[in-house]
Amino acid sequence: MKRRALGFLVSLWAVLTLNFLLPRLLPGDPLAALLDPNSSAYVFNSTTRASLAAYYGLDRPLAQQYADYLAGALQGDLGQSIRLNQPVGELLRAHLPWTLLLTLTALGAASLLGVLGGAEAAWRRGSAADKALVAASVIASNAPVVFTGMILLIVFGAKLDWLPLAGGRTAFARYDTPWDAARDYAAHLVLPAATLTLALVGSKFLLVRNSMIGVLGEDYMLVARAKGLSTGRLKRHHALRNAIVPFVHHLAAHAGFALTGALFIETLFNYPGMGRLVFESVVARDYPLIQGVFVVVSVLVLSANLLADWLSYRLDPRLREAP
Amino acid sequence: MSGPLLSVQDLRVTFAPGAPGQPPARAVDGVSFALAAGGSLAIVGETGSGKTTLARALLGLHPAGSVSGSVQLGGQELVELDEGRWRPLRWKRIALAVQNAGTAFDPVYRMGEQIVEPLREHLGLSSAEAAARAAALVAQVGLAERHLRAYPHQLSGGEKQRLMLAMALSCEPEILIVDEPTSGQDMLARAQVIALLRHIRAQRGTALLLISHDLAAVAQLAEQVAVLYAGKLAEVGAARDVLSAPRHPYTWGLLNAYPNMSTARDLSGIRGQMPDPAHPPTGCRFHPRCTQAVDKCRRVEPPLQAHGGRLLACHLGGLQALLRADGLRKTFTTNGHLGPAQNIEAVRDVSLEVYEGEVVGLVGETGSGKSTLGRLLVGLLSPEAGSIAFEGNPLALNNSSASKRLRRRIQLIPQDPFDSVSPYLSVGQIVREPLDVQGTDTPVKRAEQVQDALAAVGLPTLDAFLARHPHELSGGQLQRVVIARALVLEPKLIVADEPVSMLDASEQAKLITLLKAIQNERGIGLLLISHDLALVRKVADRILVMRDGQIIEGGPSSRVIAQPQHDYTRALLRAAPSFDWYSASSNGDRP
Repeated sequence: MKRRALGFLVSLWAVLTLNFLLPRLLPGDPLAALLDPNSSAYVFNSTTRASLAAYYGLDRPLAQQYADYLAGALQGDLGQSIRLNQPVGELLRAHLPWTLLLTLTALGAASLLGVLGGAEAAWRRGSAADKALVAASVIASNAPVVFTGMILLIVFGAKLDWLPLAGGRTAFARYDTPWDAARDYAAHLVLPAATLTLALVGSKFLLVRNSMIGVLGEDYMLVARAKGLSTGRLKRHHALRNAIVPFVHHLAAHAGFALTGALFIETLFNYPGMGRLVFESVVARDYPLIQGVFVVVSVLVLSANLLADWLSYRLDPRLREAP
Repeated sequence: MSGPLLSVQDLRVTFAPGAPGQPPARAVDGVSFALAAGGSLAIVGETGSGKTTLARALLGLHPAGSVSGSVQLGGQELVELDEGRWRPLRWKRIALAVQNAGTAFDPVYRMGEQIVEPLREHLGLSSAEAAARAAALVAQVGLAERHLRAYPHQLSGGEKQRLMLAMALSCEPEILIVDEPTSGQDMLARAQVIALLRHIRAQRGTALLLISHDLAAVAQLAEQVAVLYAGKLAEVGAARDVLSAPRHPYTWGLLNAYPNMSTARDLSGIRGQMPDPAHPPTGCRFHPRCTQAVDKCRRVEPPLQAHGGRLLACHLGGLQALLRADGLRKTFTTNGHLGPAQNIEAVRDVSLEVYEGEVVGLVGETGSGKSTLGRLLVGLLSPEAGSIAFEGNPLALNNSSASKRLRRRIQLIPQDPFDSVSPYLSVGQIVREPLDVQGTDTPVKRAEQVQDALAAVGLPTLDAFLARHPHELSGGQLQRVVIARALVLEPKLIVADEPVSMLDASEQAKLITLLKAIQNERGIGLLLISHDLALVRKVADRILVMRDGQIIEGGPSSRVIAQPQHDYTRALLRAAPSFDWYSASSNGDRP
């Protein structure tokens, strides 16, 4: 486990370094636009150019720049957004919690449904219910999120008018009790989270079903049955407990996919997460912001993997002795 | 209790076909047996014979609808019980120690938790009581409490095997089914498991159903043996009888393939393969691999019938005596040129039998009458008294066609190959001669048979080789030609009189291995006449010792070698070549 933690730190360093190097490896330098006579930002005065370079620290040796960058990044200073002229760290702090709320809710719901459904389907392999669930999960995981999101919006938002159409909370609302606040947040969360859950649940269901089917064929399951244990104990205590181990790793690997899915869904539902921020910064080539998002997403995925390693280490005693 | 504890009647386990349109696989096909309270029964057979399927059926572990017939435990019918009714029976009344203990434990729980599980489930013990019981159980199988705290992957195969037994015994079942308790274990661990099982039976009176292909373990653990082949019982009887004197050809083959310390004979597998359970052969399931199968075996399935104190499923009543000689006697009279005419009794009242597929060694010093006996048996000499029957038909020394037909099935390989072939004939002619004499097939067919026979003994079949003459061949090659000549008539019995004594040790080893391989493949009975006890014991199932025209001792090779009854046999054994200079230097005598 120590090795895993060390690996996490090394990966983190690699991500930050890559983030530092990438723009500097591009043709020209970050001030290239200032040198281009065709650019609107063209600066013909070389003194101004030099002072700009000095302002951004670009005249210093690369090693010095790197050290400053790392020190800043570790303190949460990810630079300044060019388009919004705001610190990147501040922007992320405002939008990231929304994205995390959406992603974690959907991941949680999809995991719960996938695990319970997958275990039950595997137990009744070949039954009509199993076949229907497999077909449904294949369709759900292959439908584009924009499409499923639209349908949900039209049906539950527009036609039935049960749920709000957009946003993360009711604009300008004032809540009397925390309970009212929670209800309002939850109502806005339901549709985007449902869309993302639908996109995620299929692969989780199929994975759990498959690994459960594998486990059900193991000798120890036969022995457990021969021991006269109850069905519930066989299913949960022995079969699912073993089938869950590969699922944990899948969950971590799927975290990145869930995050990107969330970004799409956020733009669709006008959810106040990072989605809009990312798309607009890409359009405006707001490099500091894009890099900031890149770092944050990388750290989240790395953390998810570290967490998965730790979890499977807890779940499977065999891993505890692996070098 | 009246009646057996476990009674199995016409049990069938049929698995749904792998692909639609295929016939279902009949893994167990009409098996009946009974197990008394406290009794012990071993079910033996090759891998794939249905042993494990049978064991699982007794615990109701197969999918619903795949098992039919009747399994009664103390009068209660178990087949068709639903899962809910099976549960209280499992482990509490019938427990199963499965074959692969290595994978039989859930990898994510400690051993203790897994052993405790059935105790809490069936006996309703508190966790403290169950833990105490588990500690007592591991102590009983010779392990410590630390083994209870270990995870499965932290233990060796032998330790898991013992814990499997401890777990199987946890609820003190009336019947313990043990599936291959000794397979894959080293000899010491194996001996410990056997001792443990014996101890458990003695202490608790648990009825034991042993599933094994380890015949030595079976001999030590079971009173009764049932031999299973392709889902059907072939032979059932007392373990001592069945294992020491097998009657079914399959049992006989199993024993031949089994390595043990009580015989020095080389191993020989059973020819052919176990049939596919989805496409069992018609008639007797063993007939494609059986060397004595007759037409009826191909058509009619033999029932399991009482036969001399055991149950046997064989139309022919088990292994056939290929050759049976009774009270043979042969006296030669010297011509009296060098003194008064004398009667020399070369063979005196000899009776012997050679069974189907059996190698019998006939040993004795020069002049003991071995070769004369061999010649009597193949009909080159006629006895003064006694009778010879081949496959139940009397063998008369005349030229009737019936006698000729029988005779071609017994062939002699003589001692000196140079003596027994005409120097004027080519190899092709030598091998073809018996066919020409018998005059059965077309010349083209005969040429093919000659080629086959030469190929069988590992000789070239080129025309250039067929045209060679005896003086152009080495001793080993010529002896192979002679063997090919014997084989060309497809005999059932070969009498080989010192077939390799003229050859050097390396060529001897090659030829005797070849002879054994041909014998095993074709199921030929072989009477191997030799003075070389060291050689004979490598191939013979039984050894007969001959002296002064009489057979003075006979029995299984292992017994004759290990516990010779007769002084003469002991003398022969002492004289047999040996590199055993350790004992020779200490007392100059072999134990």
